[in-house]
Amino acid sequence: MSPNPWIWIAAFLTLGIFSFLFKDNPVYRFSEHLFVGVANGYYIALYWHNTLRPNLVEPLAQGQFIYFVPLLLGLMYFAKFIPKISWLVRIPIGFVIGWGAGISIPANFQARILRQIEGTVVTPSSFANPWQGIWAAVIFIGVVATVIYFYFSREHKGILKPVSRLGIIFIMIGFGASFGYTIMARVSLLIGRFQFLLGPWLGLIK
Amino acid sequence: MKWFEKLTRIDRRVIYVLLTAFVILPFFIPFKIPENVMPQTRRLFDFIESIPARDKAVIISFDYSPSTQPECHPMAIALLRHCFKKRIPVIGISYEPQGPGLAVDALTLVSREMNIDAASRSDSVIYGQDYVYLGWKSGRVAAMLEMGESIARVYPVDYFQNPIDSLPLMRKVRNYKEIAIAIIVAAATYPDEWVMYPQARYGVKVAAGLTAVMAPEYYPFLQTGQFSGMLSGMKGAAEYEKLILEHGYTDKPGRAETGMNSQSIIHLLIIIFIVIGNVGYFFTRRNKGLQ
Repeated sequence: MSPNPWIWIAAFLTLGIFSFLFKDNPVYRFSEHLFVGVANGYYIALYWHNTLRPNLVEPLAQGQFIYFVPLLLGLMYFAKFIPKISWLVRIPIGFVIGWGAGISIPANFQARILRQIEGTVVTPSSFANPWQGIWAAVIFIGVVATVIYFYFSREHKGILKPVSRLGIIFIMIGFGASFGYTIMARVSLLIGRFQFLLGPWLGLIK
Repeated sequence: MKWFEKLTRIDRRVIYVLLTAFVILPFFIPFKIPENVMPQTRRLFDFIESIPARDKAVIISFDYSPSTQPECHPMAIALLRHCFKKRIPVIGISYEPQGPGLAVDALTLVSREMNIDAASRSDSVIYGQDYVYLGWKSGRVAAMLEMGESIARVYPVDYFQNPIDSLPLMRKVRNYKEIAIAIIVAAATYPDEWVMYPQARYGVKVAAGLTAVMAPEYYPFLQTGQFSGMLSGMKGAAEYEKLILEHGYTDKPGRAETGMNSQSIIHLLIIIFIVIGNVGYFFTRRNKGLQ
């Protein structure tokens, strides 16, 4: 067993959270609230020491008064809490949305739309390796069928009906794969917790 | 109550107890389930294998938190073991606020492991020469783009407050031109931004180590070649650990590989539960139909 008190505290809090699986209880509530409180405190300290102080407070203290502009924009967010001047919050929101749209829309177009379309198109070179060619064709058919399924401007009759049905099959296969991966992720976290309880805490495994 | 109705009303606490028992069992009854290495894991491994020693550096971005440590930490450790053994310089950074603690833990663990076995100074892994950790930075898109011009402008000091110009490695690595690949070990959508910004503008090669929940949505990046490899969840970590073990880069089995035994048994158990649940459901429906 570990002599380290922090390991014991971590083990107690782990078992406290697990106790919810039996039923809600004060130990679980305490562990949950402690987690939320510590997480918030950590983030506040981190953002103060790593962001606000070096990037705002220190430049202002050194006489770089241009930094009053971002300070003012940041303070305007708090105008939301004063009904008479709550309209001021639109200014920093507009600035952030404008910057975000400007920087992310072209990048998203490039990386997530155009490159993906390029990757979906089947060309003769896709069949250089026969298996690769078959999978390229499957991906192309799947993308087209899935997109057609989400085309609701016309009733799914005639040719649209079987193609959208095929699209549903591809979507369900995708959901199944996602579900399987999600189970693996959750079980991994459970395994990690038990590795901690049985290893560093109880010393039963290496 | 009929037998099929009982199947649909199994107390969930019975399921929890069985899950717990079958997670713990493989820790005490070790057995080996053969590991099949997926193409995306092998792609990343082969890419790092192709990097010449002491040439370009590898950026590893430690963007995960303790909540995803069981999946991401073994990946980071396996990647570090591979890079250090191959004498590939490593530059560690983080954009996830909880990343630095885990990054320092992984770097310290692997460098200590290497230095215990080192026969001379030339075999050792030395901070500042073979690896550096630059710490967490806010405003990540701006930081990622600025690093394409000058890493020193983004990180004037490292995580330990050493001036960047005092580190021999950072005197050689100025920007992305001296970077072979950026590997993002993440539990959130940080890899998207690496592809959208540094890769699109500066042509940086990008790979990712992701939690299993995120992996399905990143397969399109693999297929288009935007990712040069990908590790998916604990399985991806176990596969990478197997590859570095087989190639002699380590003699220690990793945590993920031992965890995969529990993973495999639990998956079988869940399949059995799903079958039981469906049998109960269909027989209940059939019985209602007959009535």
